[in-house]
Amino acid sequence: MKLTATREDILSPLQSVIGVVERRQTMPVLANVLLSARDERLSITGTDLEVELMATSTVSVQSGGDITVPGRKLLDIFKALPEKTSVTLSTEGDRVSLRAGRSRFTLSSLSATEFPLVDEINAQQTLTVAQGEFRRLIDKTHFSMAQQDVRYYLNGMLLETEGKSLRAVATDGHRLALCETELAERAKSPQQVIVPRKGVLELQRILGTEGNLELAVGTNHVRAQVGNVRFTSKLIDGRFPEYGRVIPTNPSKVLEADRDALRHALQRTAILSNEKYRGIRLMLRPDLLTLQAHNPEQEEAEDQIEVSYKGDELEVGFNVNYLLEALAAIDSEKVEIGLTDANSSCLIRTPGATAARYVVMPMRL
Amino acid sequence: MRSTGPARAILHVDMDAFYASIEQRDDPTLKGKPVIVGGTAGRGVVAAASYEVRKFGVHSAMPMSTALRLCPHAVCITPRMQHYQSISAQIFSIFREFTPVVEGLSLDEAFLDVTASQALHGDAVHIARAIKARIWQATHLTASVGVAHNKLVAKIASDLNKPDGLTVVTPETTRAILDPLSVRRLPGLGRKTGARVEELGIHTFAELRRAPDAVLWPVFGRYTHRVRERASGIDDRPVVADLEEKSISAEDTFSTDIADPARLQSELARLADLACARLRRKALVAGCVTVKIRRHDFTTFTRQRRISPPTNDTRALGSVARELLALWLAGNPGVRIRLLGVGVTHLSDADQLDLFRSGPPRAASALDGTLDAIRQKFGARALTRAGNLEDLAD
Repeated sequence: MKLTATREDILSPLQSVIGVVERRQTMPVLANVLLSARDERLSITGTDLEVELMATSTVSVQSGGDITVPGRKLLDIFKALPEKTSVTLSTEGDRVSLRAGRSRFTLSSLSATEFPLVDEINAQQTLTVAQGEFRRLIDKTHFSMAQQDVRYYLNGMLLETEGKSLRAVATDGHRLALCETELAERAKSPQQVIVPRKGVLELQRILGTEGNLELAVGTNHVRAQVGNVRFTSKLIDGRFPEYGRVIPTNPSKVLEADRDALRHALQRTAILSNEKYRGIRLMLRPDLLTLQAHNPEQEEAEDQIEVSYKGDELEVGFNVNYLLEALAAIDSEKVEIGLTDANSSCLIRTPGATAARYVVMPMRL
Repeated sequence: MRSTGPARAILHVDMDAFYASIEQRDDPTLKGKPVIVGGTAGRGVVAAASYEVRKFGVHSAMPMSTALRLCPHAVCITPRMQHYQSISAQIFSIFREFTPVVEGLSLDEAFLDVTASQALHGDAVHIARAIKARIWQATHLTASVGVAHNKLVAKIASDLNKPDGLTVVTPETTRAILDPLSVRRLPGLGRKTGARVEELGIHTFAELRRAPDAVLWPVFGRYTHRVRERASGIDDRPVVADLEEKSISAEDTFSTDIADPARLQSELARLADLACARLRRKALVAGCVTVKIRRHDFTTFTRQRRISPPTNDTRALGSVARELLALWLAGNPGVRIRLLGVGVTHLSDADQLDLFRSGPPRAASALDGTLDAIRQKFGARALTRAGNLEDLAD
């Protein structure tokens, strides 16, 4: 393999895929990126066996071929080269040589055949959705995904198709976020897949706002082409909980508040909440919400805001972070919070809207 | 590869005749008298000997019958372990006022890495003096402290001026101080090996340091190089901090080292079970599991992993511990293990309710609850998981 390109032709695709290339790997080849050169095109692929990213760019190929080299080192070299430098990359035996001006590097390599590529994903259907809309789905739900939960099926995001709607659901068992959007055309069949956390976050990173996204959904993988990057992720093989069951359908105590006023009051009160548990007490009376927090040092904070509320008095505790993250994902001026009692979940949403819904379980304080 | 960081400042603090000194302190009539703390029954051994009785050649771990033959008028006292433990905890909390890096060796002995504490508390010698003073002030007991640039030299140093000593050894003075010492003072050199070395005509550190490979190899095998390094006062083992104070842990030093992975896993399962039962007794959940592994040569490793959601379920925490040990064993096959420990940290008692489960996480699983209840009634060994069956075979 031999090719010539400018620094940027290689740096940019390399930066797109490096997120899945980890430094410390049990399999040495996973610390490498796969370089494939043919037909004036270079594709660079990185994988962590769960998420695979392949980015392409146009280069001048003198002789085609495939080879893998240490990803982080290659990135560091290209970052350190002067802008617009012309770089020649070629294989020499089992090494890869890189020349740029008066700089010369020789990198170790591993055979391309050792690199675990996902070839065909056997798509069952391909969903077409506006890229900006899909990004919105992720933005508004991703923070509720679990992290290294023993309930492994929660460490990702549920994507569900039903007729013309595409729904994203994320939950860590303490709170849940749900957001829906319209597909460009009806889905062939209702389908539920769980995209692992890492895949969701990488996809969020590369998604733009223009044009459509074609999401190919197989039984074990999803794949999408975003600009010059091809995204492939394994799916989590598990059953997502019946989330519909835990979304309150008709909470008895519904209050409406100014979103920013509520957020600011929560942020102020949170300063003196227990740093670890972040517990905060909400005391609801007709048209008045009192917020209270204290910490192990016996420091206390109290705040009040006016709300619109007509029901009975209620006292309930929450992890303030869960409330703040839900409020941050709501973009309306007013917010509606539906409560039942101190042991039942609350529903947070734009008043009357159903496209985005947030459910938070209380804490016993 | 040897670490080439800045010079370290290591303290070895050793309480003087700890148990015996406590008894003498608590009962003034024992002051100045020969006191032996230990089991008085048939095969009892000496747990601690006051300085008055040491003059007769009595030392700890000696059979009580031998001790009493050497010093028939000694006062024998049955150990009050809980009492010693609470005083030990008091002393260790003094250590932690000066540095978080405290590696306890027993109730009365610890290594402290004070390298990073010097900016705040003054140099290592200053810290050593302050610790001795704080211990005296809080407990009216004396400690001997060795100050050096590594664990080995610090430990040797603390033993040089007992009781109530403070011995400082610098890299420059190491050789001069170590060279004339008897090889018997080299930590880790047992009585038998010590005798074999002396049979070779090697009596001092200097002689051990200079002895040719051909002489040492038959005794020490592949550890020959290590032993020669130790005799030169070279030791780059880090001080491994004990599992955090805000943790619940169970650990065990085995009567003989274990290398069999299945037996190690079964010991680990038993320890995890113990730690989890303690967790449940305190109505807490844990968000992190730590496994502590001490090799036969005292090198200590810890491996930890977060667990989410926090739990006190033996199966969930135990399986993480098992994985951590399996991973370590995979990288260190066949190594003999002296001690295993399981610790749980990131403890919380806050009751965050779960969307998909009823009740708060503090409600232990039904099986764990039943196990705890049975053990409470019939004793810790009444019932065990099949995975821990090794402990029934004992």
